[in-house]
Amino acid sequence: MKLQRFWATPCARVAGLLIATSTLSVAADITPDVSSLRVESGKPVIEFAPVPAAVEYNLYGGPDFTQPLTLLAGTRQDYRWTGASPVSGDAGYFRVRARTLTPDEIAAANLLNRISYGPTPDELEEVRRIGVDAFIEKQINAEAIAEDLDTPVPFVEEWRKVTLTGVVTASTLYVYLDGVGDVYLDGLRLVAGATDDGTKPNLIRNGDFDSTLGGEWAFATNVNTSARSAERAKTGNASLHLVSTAAGSSLESSLSQAVTPALVNNGTYTLSYWYWTADSTRQLTLRFSGSGALNGAGIQSTHGLTGANGTTPSTYAALLDKREGSVSHLRSWHLMKAMSSKRQLNEILRQFCENHFVTEYSKSNDYMDGIGYPNEVAPFVATQLEYTENRKWQAALLQPQVTFHALLKISAESPAMIIYLDTVNSRGNRNTDGTYRIANENYARELCELFCFGVDNGYDQGDIVQLSRVWTGWTTEFRAPADIHNPFAPRSTVYKDPNVTSNLTALTNLVGSWTLRYSPTRHDPRAKYLFHEKDANGNPIAGQPRKVPARFGAPWAGRSYGLTFGTSAYTTNTLDEGYAILRHMADQPFTQEFIVVKLCRLFIHDDFRTGYNFTDAETSPEEETVKAAMLAWENPPGGGPKGQLRPILRTILKSAAFRSAVASQQKVKTPIEYAVSAVRAFRADNGDGTFTADSDGVGLQAPLNRAGRMRLFDRAEPDGYPESAAPWISAGTLAERLRYVQSLSLRPANRPSGELDSRTVVDPVAMLRRKKPEALSDAGAAADYLLDLLFPAEGKANLEAYRRLAIQFLNTADDGVTASAYASLGVGSTNHDTRLRGLVSFLLTTSRFQEQ
Amino acid sequence: MNTPNILTRRSFLSRTSALGLGTALATLTDIPFVMQRALADGNIGKPGPNGRVKKLLFLFLRGANDGLNALIPYGDSAYSTVNRPSIYIPPDPGAAWQSSGPAYFPASGATTGTFVRPDGTPLNGLALGNGFAGLHPSLKFLAPVYNAGDLALLHRVGYPRQSRSHFDSQNYWETGSPRDDLAKDGILYRTMLESGLTTTNALTGVSIQSSLPLILRGSKAAMTNLSDTGRYNLLGVPNTTAGNNKADLFLKAANASQGADRKSRDLLDLQYQNLTKTLETFAAINFNQEFLDNENTDGDVPYNLFPTSNATNGGYAARGNNAAKYVVPTSSYDFFRQLRSAALVLNKTDAIVAGTQIDGWDTHSNQGGPTGSHANLLRRVGWSIYALRKYFLQNPDQCRWDDLVIVTLSEFGRTTIENDDNGTDHAEASVMFVAGGGVKGYDSGSRRPGVFGCGPSDPVAWQTGQTGSMFQTEKRYLQRAIDYRSVLGKVIRDHLGATQDQVNRIIPGYAKSSEALKTGGVQTADGVRVQGEPDLML
Repeated sequence: MKLQRFWATPCARVAGLLIATSTLSVAADITPDVSSLRVESGKPVIEFAPVPAAVEYNLYGGPDFTQPLTLLAGTRQDYRWTGASPVSGDAGYFRVRARTLTPDEIAAANLLNRISYGPTPDELEEVRRIGVDAFIEKQINAEAIAEDLDTPVPFVEEWRKVTLTGVVTASTLYVYLDGVGDVYLDGLRLVAGATDDGTKPNLIRNGDFDSTLGGEWAFATNVNTSARSAERAKTGNASLHLVSTAAGSSLESSLSQAVTPALVNNGTYTLSYWYWTADSTRQLTLRFSGSGALNGAGIQSTHGLTGANGTTPSTYAALLDKREGSVSHLRSWHLMKAMSSKRQLNEILRQFCENHFVTEYSKSNDYMDGIGYPNEVAPFVATQLEYTENRKWQAALLQPQVTFHALLKISAESPAMIIYLDTVNSRGNRNTDGTYRIANENYARELCELFCFGVDNGYDQGDIVQLSRVWTGWTTEFRAPADIHNPFAPRSTVYKDPNVTSNLTALTNLVGSWTLRYSPTRHDPRAKYLFHEKDANGNPIAGQPRKVPARFGAPWAGRSYGLTFGTSAYTTNTLDEGYAILRHMADQPFTQEFIVVKLCRLFIHDDFRTGYNFTDAETSPEEETVKAAMLAWENPPGGGPKGQLRPILRTILKSAAFRSAVASQQKVKTPIEYAVSAVRAFRADNGDGTFTADSDGVGLQAPLNRAGRMRLFDRAEPDGYPESAAPWISAGTLAERLRYVQSLSLRPANRPSGELDSRTVVDPVAMLRRKKPEALSDAGAAADYLLDLLFPAEGKANLEAYRRLAIQFLNTADDGVTASAYASLGVGSTNHDTRLRGLVSFLLTTSRFQEQ
Repeated sequence: MNTPNILTRRSFLSRTSALGLGTALATLTDIPFVMQRALADGNIGKPGPNGRVKKLLFLFLRGANDGLNALIPYGDSAYSTVNRPSIYIPPDPGAAWQSSGPAYFPASGATTGTFVRPDGTPLNGLALGNGFAGLHPSLKFLAPVYNAGDLALLHRVGYPRQSRSHFDSQNYWETGSPRDDLAKDGILYRTMLESGLTTTNALTGVSIQSSLPLILRGSKAAMTNLSDTGRYNLLGVPNTTAGNNKADLFLKAANASQGADRKSRDLLDLQYQNLTKTLETFAAINFNQEFLDNENTDGDVPYNLFPTSNATNGGYAARGNNAAKYVVPTSSYDFFRQLRSAALVLNKTDAIVAGTQIDGWDTHSNQGGPTGSHANLLRRVGWSIYALRKYFLQNPDQCRWDDLVIVTLSEFGRTTIENDDNGTDHAEASVMFVAGGGVKGYDSGSRRPGVFGCGPSDPVAWQTGQTGSMFQTEKRYLQRAIDYRSVLGKVIRDHLGATQDQVNRIIPGYAKSSEALKTGGVQTADGVRVQGEPDLML
């Protein structure tokens, strides 16, 4: 008997580098490695290695491999196939074929893990509906997405509608306020089922209050001055003016109606109503008797009357704008936006700016403490520096022609940076003995190494010494509002309280903000030769600027990139040296290469590097992507200045590398990506400003710190938080990550103390009810929906083991052993909610969810 | 042809056989995890002939410890009430500091308070028997460790061009690269990276505090911080024993399932295994276990080694709730919980380095003398080292006392002259304590002292008087005679098992003769002579 292994063309594996499907334009059809081929009970058994993004594995065979092989019948479990027919004769050839996701499907799956903080159910649908390219364009043109998360919603008097679906275990509806107050209600409707199209019969009697109030509505003592009102009406000609003289909570303290005939126990109903907004702190509750015991699955609505939906980013922005925000408020603002903004790509870029041009809140705090702010004030001042630069990046990123130079300039002018890298006290002026003070090199070095050129890329230590002299004089000052754009203006003399005469110069009594101050008398006035050839002593040679190395090829190679500043007097003009440097360095090929590589690592995978030889024959999808993006930087297709971000991003996101299986799930989430993506995965829009998963940002901070000390706005080291996996993943950090998603999955009441608070929640039942109702009772449907949502690029054929486990999980009691059918749990019951939360918790703890 | 550049464990093996290993060895991090240990040189993390690994426990005293009031230079007349009117600590009459022999340990017995004499007056500076130095009375429990030969007390420790900023100087101590603001990773992180075990051991470097300190941070591997060892178990839904078991069961099953090659998966698979191992190990450790001394402590009853409540604090409970019998301040219970966790992690897991910190050493005002705020801080340190020695001697498991070295770190010392607020300000050199079964300390036979840099015959002599060592830097500060890097370098090489080449990578200054770290000499950065590596390992 002759059995042979057989696999594809000889070029399938070259020097051990795994071949993937990066340049294929259609679904790849590739041949996995066969790891074992034997005969068991007369039948062929073949085991093979999984292929990334595989949706299907098929076995082909035949007696003669020079002839087309035919599809064989057999059974497969994961990566092991057993033929249906016994091996016949003495010869047989077998070939395994894997069909993978198409490049477009891979891109769609990747997209939300790269240009957003992980898929939400709504966005996953949107990408599939409008297509990858349209979604990319939409995200790139962020200003066209209507959104303003930073401005508090002004209070407007108007009718607002609330709709909610849930199960009931009783038939009495309660309506009450949480204290003394009043509210107008109208258009109360209750219909059977999960939706109300307006045509179903209203089970509430006199819900539009157009008829005289009869016995259908019962008024407890605390609401017995309520009455119909013709003053305003949403439906018909009157509404109910509910007047409360004391807090309500139950039948004895509410407006109530016993619905007749009685509702179906555990039946699903949809309640909707309108209320007239009021500038009040009262909370309105509408609920069915017994809803509290249903753990959120019942019909219960509690909300304020102002029309605002709880904590929003603007809640924090309002504090930060008033300079009353702490660094914790700033983090909550940042994290809430990461979770909720529709401009997800800009959120990723905002964090990229924050992390690339890294500054440290604690160092600003020390500085402010040191120059005279009281201990309790300095933290707010330091927070303000971080907030101000972040808002500037945010505004810049909304400009269609935003350039890297614009982002760099924001950083260079930011007091947070001037303090962080010690320019604030750097001096290069002449001493009385004729020598010069030695400038602090810190900012000059990082400008080369970390912000623009990249380490050892086009500069040397001599350049850093020269460059450090440019920055002497860049310091910071507290300026009156009228002076914030004047780098030479003196300290503010606008007082908050001019009557406080004893301490008029105290910083805390001044109105203004910290901005760049340029002090010419600190400046090193000597001539400076940047990026010049050096003599034997390491001194730059005037007239000999360095040239861009040959490896860059056209159009860059051979260009001179030296820059010279002549000897200057101690005048304000020398401020221009710094700005000239920024403009000069921002668009050099070294900067283009370093920043493009960093963006490619962020958006595609970690294995991009600087130092490619762009002129030799050897190339790779990575090198080609870098070069294409650098060309888009150099010559933006739409014209305009060099270094525009949008053409660069377009090139990267539309590259073949981005669409390959190599790009998908090769990266590990950083703590912020991990924490935010877990909430987003269950965050479906309820259509009324509420979501099936939410966070006020506070609870997300501790997991970031615990899982490897990711303290936003407070990175101690100037290289920013890493993108790659190794620095984030250890037994200890994994324990923290798992602890977080497990706490998140639990109903808040069941969380251990000290873990996530109740303002960060996910409600998988509510999400599935909205997105995939059949998944509430069908284990297979639930498994399919969740696996597709959480691991879209993995490939269905590679998720079969997870699918079996997920179904088994749903059909197993909490003890992990006893069979307990998911379908018979009763949608909305506590057991059902627990079972589904357990599955979510399980899927979020797997290693797959660490990946992106 | 176009070849995406994804390196997997499997492809690495075939690539290395095709290309040869030479080019791949530049950094260990480019190499598959399973092979890193095999390719790492040196013996860090490698079991010795006794089957055990050498380990390190660090204690960072943040805020700058006043070394002159901890290891007191009685032999220098400048240590005086003139320079330190309110914080001066007179020598205790129990034993003269000029004497030769063991350190003076006044056991208090059943009735006397822990840090007072029988007449009720506070203990004062305790003679060390090297003819020059004394210990702050709060450090009295260091005396038994010292007399057992397991403690090296180092004075005048610092580094060239000392920064007097807490921020910078703590960074320099932690990165091992003074005055290098670009050093981005920690000295013990680099030590662990050199072991080649950071991706295969469940635990290598561990801190037990609120978050990972710089000394263990770096960009190529994640060390572990445990904010609270009690938090590490998996939660199911519902959060019940059964629910948690179910979660554990299904996670293990999912982890066992095979997936397609992805760049991150080797690392994730290994670290999930490490997580499982760690959780299982932790589940078997009782982090709240009480450990009693195996003898009558301090001439009283056996004390609890890790005080976490009044009842377990010294002889308090046994002596009618007498607060005078505390061995540590009542505010230090959280710290002793962390310290016990660090000890258990070293003893019960494969972690090589563990540590924590004590805050609050920035004693600008009302520092106190034999009692007071500085004295309270020192009590934590003295008792910690005593307790750790007893714990590891009495409960040897994966780590015995002979396998362990304890080091204390603190960013700088404090001004020689007291300020107007009865405190001291930021200064230069300070003290380091190094303890362990393998430390070359006091020898009762030859009476070789365990004091370095604070004796009558140091390699870099202690100059006495108002123009002496205590005023040698900028006429204000105690000048260093030992570079902290020489101490850590010695421990990392001679105890943990690094090769000299590894030490040169872990502590870059070692490779430069101008730093004089190994054999001593003048450090050219500021022209100060240092003694090189102290001879403190057996």
